[in-house]
Amino acid sequence: MSTFPVAAETVAVGDSGPAVVVEALSREDFVRYAGASGDFARIHYDEPFAEAAGYPSVFGQGMLTAGFASTLVTDWFGIEHVRRFRTRFSAQVWPGDTVRVTGEVTDVTPTDDHVVVDVTFEATTGDDVVVLTGSATADLPH
Amino acid sequence: MPRYPLADLEAQVGTSNVTVRNLRVEGGKVEEFARAIHDDNPEFRATERDEPVVAPLTFTRTSYFPQYRTATADWEFGFELGFDRDRSVHGEQAYEFERPVREGDVLTGVTTLAEVYQREGGEGGTMTFAVFETEFRDADGDLVVVVRNTRIETGRPVGGEAEP
Repeated sequence: MSTFPVAAETVAVGDSGPAVVVEALSREDFVRYAGASGDFARIHYDEPFAEAAGYPSVFGQGMLTAGFASTLVTDWFGIEHVRRFRTRFSAQVWPGDTVRVTGEVTDVTPTDDHVVVDVTFEATTGDDVVVLTGSATADLPH
Repeated sequence: MPRYPLADLEAQVGTSNVTVRNLRVEGGKVEEFARAIHDDNPEFRATERDEPVVAPLTFTRTSYFPQYRTATADWEFGFELGFDRDRSVHGEQAYEFERPVREGDVLTGVTTLAEVYQREGGEGGTMTFAVFETEFRDADGDLVVVVRNTRIETGRPVGGEAEP
Protein backbone atom coordinates (compact mmCIF):
# COMPACT_ATOMS: atom_id res chain seq x y z
CA MET A 1 0.00 0.00 0.00
CA SER A 2 1.55 3.25 -1.16
CA THR A 3 1.30 6.46 0.75
CA PHE A 4 0.94 9.74 -1.11
CA PRO A 5 2.70 11.87 -2.15
CA VAL A 6 5.07 9.05 -3.12
CA ALA A 7 8.80 8.99 -2.32
CA ALA A 8 11.23 8.89 -5.26
CA GLU A 9 12.79 5.57 -4.24
CA THR A 10 9.44 3.73 -4.22
CA VAL A 11 8.19 4.71 -7.71
CA ALA A 12 8.07 1.98 -10.38
CA VAL A 13 6.65 1.65 -13.88
CA GLY A 14 3.10 0.33 -13.71
CA ASP A 15 2.27 1.93 -10.36
CA SER A 16 -1.17 3.44 -10.14
CA GLY A 17 -1.90 6.71 -8.37
CA PRO A 18 -4.51 7.77 -5.83
CA ALA A 19 -7.70 7.50 -7.94
CA VAL A 20 -9.95 10.54 -7.84
CA VAL A 21 -13.71 9.96 -7.86
CA VAL A 22 -16.21 12.82 -8.05
CA GLU A 23 -19.73 11.48 -7.70
CA ALA A 24 -22.94 12.60 -9.37
CA LEU A 25 -21.94 15.93 -10.87
CA SER A 26 -24.72 18.48 -10.96
CA ARG A 27 -25.49 21.67 -12.81
CA GLU A 28 -24.51 23.42 -9.60
CA ASP A 29 -20.97 22.01 -10.00
CA PHE A 30 -20.77 23.51 -13.51
CA VAL A 31 -22.02 26.88 -12.23
CA ARG A 32 -19.54 26.84 -9.34
CA TYR A 33 -16.69 26.16 -11.76
CA ALA A 34 -17.91 28.93 -14.06
CA GLY A 35 -17.89 31.39 -11.16
CA ALA A 36 -14.52 30.27 -9.81
CA SER A 37 -12.72 30.07 -13.16
CA GLY A 38 -14.30 32.78 -15.28
CA ASP A 39 -15.47 30.30 -17.95
CA PHE A 40 -18.96 31.62 -18.62
CA ALA A 41 -19.66 29.80 -21.90
CA ARG A 42 -23.47 29.45 -21.88
CA ILE A 43 -23.37 25.86 -23.08
CA HIS A 44 -22.41 24.84 -19.51
CA TYR A 45 -25.36 26.33 -17.61
CA ASP A 46 -28.05 27.57 -20.05
CA GLU A 47 -30.33 24.59 -20.76
CA PRO A 48 -32.40 26.15 -23.62
CA PHE A 49 -29.16 27.34 -25.26
CA ALA A 50 -27.63 23.84 -25.03
CA GLU A 51 -30.77 22.21 -26.41
CA ALA A 52 -30.93 24.71 -29.29
CA ALA A 53 -27.31 23.75 -30.10
CA GLY A 54 -28.43 20.12 -30.39
CA TYR A 55 -27.35 18.72 -27.02
CA PRO A 56 -29.58 16.76 -24.62
CA SER A 57 -28.62 19.14 -21.78
CA VAL A 58 -25.84 21.39 -20.55
CA PHE A 59 -22.49 19.69 -19.96
CA GLY A 60 -19.44 20.34 -17.81
CA GLN A 61 -16.44 22.47 -18.72
CA GLY A 62 -13.48 20.44 -20.01
CA MET A 63 -11.32 22.41 -17.61
CA LEU A 64 -13.47 21.19 -14.70
CA THR A 65 -12.54 17.60 -15.57
CA ALA A 66 -8.93 18.75 -16.05
CA GLY A 67 -9.16 20.05 -12.48
CA PHE A 68 -10.13 16.56 -11.23
CA ALA A 69 -7.10 15.18 -13.11
CA SER A 70 -4.88 17.83 -11.52
CA THR A 71 -5.92 16.53 -8.10
CA LEU A 72 -4.73 13.05 -9.05
CA VAL A 73 -1.31 14.37 -10.10
CA THR A 74 -0.73 16.76 -7.18
CA ASP A 75 -1.93 14.22 -4.58
CA TRP A 76 0.36 11.63 -6.19
CA PHE A 77 3.61 13.62 -6.38
CA GLY A 78 3.16 16.88 -4.47
CA ILE A 79 2.48 20.06 -6.41
CA GLU A 80 6.00 21.48 -6.08
CA HIS A 81 7.38 18.47 -8.03
CA VAL A 82 5.02 18.68 -11.02
CA ARG A 83 6.85 19.89 -14.13
CA ARG A 84 4.35 19.13 -16.89
CA PHE A 85 0.59 18.50 -17.03
CA ARG A 86 -1.31 17.92 -20.26
CA THR A 87 -4.96 17.09 -20.90
CA ARG A 88 -6.91 16.30 -24.04
CA PHE A 89 -10.71 16.46 -24.09
CA SER A 90 -12.57 13.64 -25.84
CA ALA A 91 -16.19 13.60 -24.63
CA GLN A 92 -18.67 15.57 -22.56
CA VAL A 93 -19.48 15.15 -18.89
CA TRP A 94 -23.25 15.28 -18.31
CA PRO A 95 -25.26 16.15 -15.21
CA GLY A 96 -25.50 13.05 -13.02
CA ASP A 97 -22.21 11.58 -14.27
CA THR A 98 -19.66 10.25 -11.81
CA VAL A 99 -16.12 11.00 -12.98
CA ARG A 100 -13.26 8.67 -12.09
CA VAL A 101 -9.63 9.61 -12.82
CA THR A 102 -6.94 6.92 -12.74
CA GLY A 103 -3.27 7.03 -13.67
CA GLU A 104 -0.28 4.81 -14.29
CA VAL A 105 3.49 5.35 -14.22
CA THR A 106 4.89 4.85 -17.73
CA ASP A 107 8.55 5.76 -17.24
CA VAL A 108 11.02 6.30 -14.41
CA THR A 109 14.35 7.98 -15.17
CA PRO A 110 16.84 8.36 -12.31
CA THR A 111 19.38 11.18 -12.54
CA ASP A 112 22.14 12.05 -10.05
CA ASP A 113 19.90 13.44 -7.39
CA HIS A 114 16.41 13.27 -8.91
CA VAL A 115 13.97 10.78 -10.37
CA VAL A 116 11.90 11.94 -13.35
CA VAL A 117 8.54 10.17 -13.44
CA ASP A 118 6.18 10.14 -16.43
CA VAL A 119 2.56 9.13 -16.03
CA THR A 120 -0.54 8.86 -18.18
CA PHE A 121 -4.06 9.23 -16.86
CA GLU A 122 -7.63 9.12 -18.04
CA ALA A 123 -10.98 10.29 -16.77
CA THR A 124 -14.05 8.14 -17.38
CA THR A 125 -17.71 8.55 -16.58
CA GLY A 126 -19.83 5.83 -15.02
CA ASP A 127 -20.64 4.24 -18.36
CA ASP A 128 -16.92 3.81 -19.15
CA VAL A 129 -16.81 6.69 -21.62
CA VAL A 130 -13.33 8.23 -21.70
CA VAL A 131 -13.90 11.97 -21.34
CA LEU A 132 -10.28 13.07 -20.91
CA THR A 133 -6.81 11.63 -21.42
CA GLY A 134 -3.53 13.16 -20.39
CA SER A 135 0.01 12.86 -19.20
CA ALA A 136 2.24 14.47 -16.61
CA THR A 137 5.85 14.59 -15.55
CA ALA A 138 7.11 14.94 -11.98
CA ASP A 139 10.68 15.56 -10.85
CA LEU A 140 11.22 13.98 -7.44
CA PRO A 141 14.29 14.73 -5.30
CA HIS A 142 16.16 11.63 -4.16
CA MET B 1 -13.28 27.11 -42.43
CA PRO B 2 -12.26 30.34 -40.68
CA ARG B 3 -13.14 33.68 -42.29
CA TYR B 4 -9.54 34.24 -43.47
CA PRO B 5 -7.33 32.09 -45.72
CA LEU B 6 -4.97 29.71 -43.91
CA ALA B 7 -1.98 31.68 -45.24
CA ASP B 8 -3.20 34.78 -43.36
CA LEU B 9 -3.37 32.71 -40.18
CA GLU B 10 0.06 31.17 -40.75
CA ALA B 11 1.55 34.65 -41.25
CA GLN B 12 0.69 35.39 -37.60
CA VAL B 13 2.46 32.32 -36.19
CA GLY B 14 5.31 33.39 -33.93
CA THR B 15 3.81 36.78 -33.12
CA SER B 16 2.83 37.66 -29.55
CA ASN B 17 0.39 39.83 -27.61
CA VAL B 18 0.34 40.86 -23.95
CA THR B 19 -2.93 39.26 -22.84
CA VAL B 20 -2.87 39.15 -19.01
CA ARG B 21 -1.81 41.81 -16.54
CA ASN B 22 -2.04 42.10 -12.75
CA LEU B 23 -3.26 38.56 -12.17
CA ARG B 24 -2.91 38.99 -8.41
CA VAL B 25 -3.17 35.56 -6.78
CA GLU B 26 -5.36 35.87 -3.69
CA GLY B 27 -5.72 33.14 -1.07
CA GLY B 28 -9.50 33.29 -0.98
CA LYS B 29 -9.69 32.97 -4.77
CA VAL B 30 -7.36 29.96 -4.68
CA GLU B 31 -9.57 28.30 -2.07
CA GLU B 32 -12.73 29.04 -4.09
CA PHE B 33 -11.11 27.51 -7.20
CA ALA B 34 -9.93 24.42 -5.29
CA ARG B 35 -13.41 23.90 -3.87
CA ALA B 36 -14.92 24.20 -7.36
CA ILE B 37 -12.73 21.33 -8.61
CA HIS B 38 -13.57 19.29 -5.46
CA ASP B 39 -9.93 19.29 -4.31
CA ASP B 40 -9.75 19.13 -0.52
CA ASN B 41 -5.96 19.33 -0.19
CA PRO B 42 -5.23 21.69 2.75
CA GLU B 43 -2.37 23.22 0.71
CA PHE B 44 -5.04 25.09 -1.25
CA ARG B 45 -7.11 26.25 1.76
CA ALA B 46 -6.27 29.81 2.77
CA THR B 47 -8.61 29.55 5.75
CA GLU B 48 -6.64 26.59 7.13
CA ARG B 49 -3.08 27.93 6.74
CA ASP B 50 -0.93 30.74 8.06
CA GLU B 51 1.61 30.68 5.22
CA PRO B 52 0.74 31.56 1.59
CA VAL B 53 -1.19 28.84 -0.23
CA VAL B 54 -0.18 27.32 -3.57
CA ALA B 55 -2.70 27.23 -6.42
CA PRO B 56 -4.01 24.12 -8.23
CA LEU B 57 -2.29 23.29 -11.55
CA THR B 58 -5.06 24.77 -13.70
CA PHE B 59 -5.55 27.97 -11.67
CA THR B 60 -4.33 30.31 -14.43
CA ARG B 61 -7.72 29.69 -16.07
CA THR B 62 -8.87 32.55 -13.81
CA SER B 63 -6.88 34.94 -16.01
CA TYR B 64 -9.95 34.91 -18.31
CA PHE B 65 -11.76 37.25 -15.90
CA PRO B 66 -12.04 40.68 -17.57
CA GLN B 67 -10.15 42.50 -14.80
CA TYR B 68 -6.93 40.69 -15.77
CA ARG B 69 -7.24 40.92 -19.55
CA THR B 70 -5.56 43.60 -21.61
CA ALA B 71 -7.64 45.63 -24.05
CA THR B 72 -6.34 43.60 -27.00
CA ALA B 73 -7.04 40.20 -25.43
CA ASP B 74 -10.37 39.34 -27.01
CA TRP B 75 -11.64 35.81 -27.66
CA GLU B 76 -8.76 35.28 -30.13
CA PHE B 77 -6.10 36.62 -27.73
CA GLY B 78 -5.61 39.64 -30.00
CA PHE B 79 -4.90 37.61 -33.15
CA GLU B 80 -7.08 37.77 -36.25
CA LEU B 81 -7.95 34.17 -37.00
CA GLY B 82 -11.62 34.54 -37.86
CA PHE B 83 -12.71 31.37 -36.05
CA ASP B 84 -16.47 30.91 -35.75
CA ARG B 85 -17.03 30.73 -32.03
CA ASP B 86 -20.16 28.58 -32.36
CA ARG B 87 -18.12 25.91 -34.16
CA SER B 88 -15.05 26.01 -31.89
CA VAL B 89 -14.06 23.65 -29.11
CA HIS B 90 -11.26 23.39 -26.60
CA GLY B 91 -9.13 20.45 -27.73
CA GLU B 92 -6.18 20.37 -25.36
CA GLN B 93 -4.65 22.21 -22.45
CA ALA B 94 -1.02 21.74 -21.37
CA TYR B 95 1.24 23.27 -18.72
CA GLU B 96 4.99 23.41 -18.15
CA PHE B 97 5.85 24.62 -14.67
CA GLU B 98 9.00 26.32 -13.40
CA ARG B 99 7.33 26.43 -10.00
CA PRO B 100 3.77 26.35 -8.61
CA VAL B 101 1.67 29.53 -8.73
CA ARG B 102 1.47 30.95 -5.20
CA GLU B 103 -0.66 33.37 -3.22
CA GLY B 104 0.92 36.82 -3.54
CA ASP B 105 2.13 36.31 -7.10
CA VAL B 106 1.29 39.11 -9.53
CA LEU B 107 1.43 37.50 -12.96
CA THR B 108 1.68 38.89 -16.46
CA GLY B 109 0.82 36.80 -19.52
CA VAL B 110 2.21 37.06 -23.05
CA THR B 111 0.46 34.88 -25.62
CA THR B 112 2.19 33.64 -28.78
CA LEU B 113 0.35 32.03 -31.66
CA ALA B 114 2.48 28.87 -31.67
CA GLU B 115 0.87 26.79 -34.42
CA VAL B 116 -1.95 26.81 -36.98
CA TYR B 117 -2.91 23.83 -39.14
CA GLN B 118 -5.85 22.10 -40.77
CA ARG B 119 -7.02 18.51 -40.95
CA GLU B 120 -9.91 16.85 -42.68
CA GLY B 121 -12.26 15.61 -39.99
CA GLY B 122 -14.98 13.02 -40.39
CA GLU B 123 -18.48 14.35 -39.84
CA GLY B 124 -16.98 17.61 -38.61
CA GLY B 125 -15.63 18.63 -42.06
CA THR B 126 -12.38 20.60 -42.21
CA MET B 127 -10.95 21.24 -38.76
CA THR B 128 -8.66 24.21 -38.14
CA PHE B 129 -6.33 24.06 -35.12
CA ALA B 130 -4.77 27.04 -33.37
CA VAL B 131 -2.30 26.61 -30.51
CA PHE B 132 -2.00 29.60 -28.15
CA GLU B 133 1.03 29.54 -25.88
CA THR B 134 0.94 31.90 -22.88
CA GLU B 135 4.01 32.57 -20.73
CA PHE B 136 3.10 33.69 -17.23
CA ARG B 137 5.84 35.67 -15.44
CA ASP B 138 5.95 36.99 -11.88
CA ALA B 139 6.64 40.57 -10.76
CA ASP B 140 10.41 39.93 -11.02
CA GLY B 141 10.00 38.86 -14.64
CA ASP B 142 10.77 35.22 -13.82
CA LEU B 143 8.91 32.55 -15.78
CA VAL B 144 6.39 30.62 -13.64
CA VAL B 145 4.38 28.53 -16.11
CA VAL B 146 3.81 28.16 -19.85
CA VAL B 147 0.23 27.28 -20.79
CA ARG B 148 -0.68 25.84 -24.21
CA ASN B 149 -4.32 26.01 -25.26
CA THR B 150 -5.38 24.19 -28.45
CA ARG B 151 -8.57 25.50 -30.02
CA ILE B 152 -10.30 23.63 -32.84
CA GLU B 153 -12.77 25.14 -35.27
CA THR B 154 -14.95 22.29 -36.49
CA GLY B 155 -17.27 22.11 -39.46
CA ARG B 156 -20.49 22.16 -37.45
CA PRO B 157 -22.02 24.06 -34.51
CA VAL B 158 -20.77 22.79 -31.16
CA GLY B 159 -21.73 25.54 -28.74
CA GLY B 160 -18.51 27.48 -28.51
CA GLU B 161 -15.62 27.93 -26.14
CA ALA B 162 -15.64 30.58 -23.47
CA GLU B 163 -14.23 33.97 -24.32
CA PRO B 164 -11.13 35.17 -22.52
